[in-house]
Amino acid sequence: MTKVSIDSNLYERARQAAEKAGFSSAEELITTAIETELKRLGEADAERQVADQLRGLGYIE
Amino acid sequence: MMQMLDRGGIRALTDEIRAADTDNPRGYLEYERAKKTKADPSWLPAARGKAVKMVSALLYDLPPTEKYRIIFMNRDLDEVLESQEKMLKRLGRAAAPRDQLQQSFGIHLDRLYQWLPTQTHLQVLQISYNDLINDPKTEVDRIASFLDDIPAREEMLSAIDPALYRNRKPDS
Repeated sequence: MTKVSIDSNLYERARQAAEKAGFSSAEELITTAIETELKRLGEADAERQVADQLRGLGYIE
Repeated sequence: MMQMLDRGGIRALTDEIRAADTDNPRGYLEYERAKKTKADPSWLPAARGKAVKMVSALLYDLPPTEKYRIIFMNRDLDEVLESQEKMLKRLGRAAAPRDQLQQSFGIHLDRLYQWLPTQTHLQVLQISYNDLINDPKTEVDRIASFLDDIPAREEMLSAIDPALYRNRKPDS
């Protein structure tokens, strides 16, 4: 397991939000947030690559 | 598909700007304004009752002010990319590596397939290009039914030319 440092105020906000939203811990919320963001970035990259390919073929502008 | 619909009586909306070439010897049947729908959808009312060719990425731009029947053409992704690579080569343009594009198109299609059923203005019929070549009668029946039996089945069938099925995988 790799350790990551985050601001203690941010961690406290995450802990409170995790409790309110039903996560088992702040760590679970933070892991979920990172996974969500990585998925979003991957999708944005994929859509960009598809758009570049279709643009190259003259199917979109 | 565009040739089939046009011959079957659903006229293709085309400006004939993009001429036939080696990649599409029967012509592209495209309409340039369809590529700019997001910025200018004013051409849509004039397209009612007609067939318009669009790539999947443009479906997001169709405003819900109209109702659309989407015939979504699926084809083996390797065959699609093979065909696109040849087109890009002829155009003197570079293609990204095949494995990256496989992954990107996979993500693109997954997202689209999740989005399409949530759009009440879009009615979708999935048609496999490969099934259309292997069993044209069944697929033409499905297309005609989807379009309220407006297009003539025999005319649509007559437009299918298996000789144009190039870039096929060895086991297809």
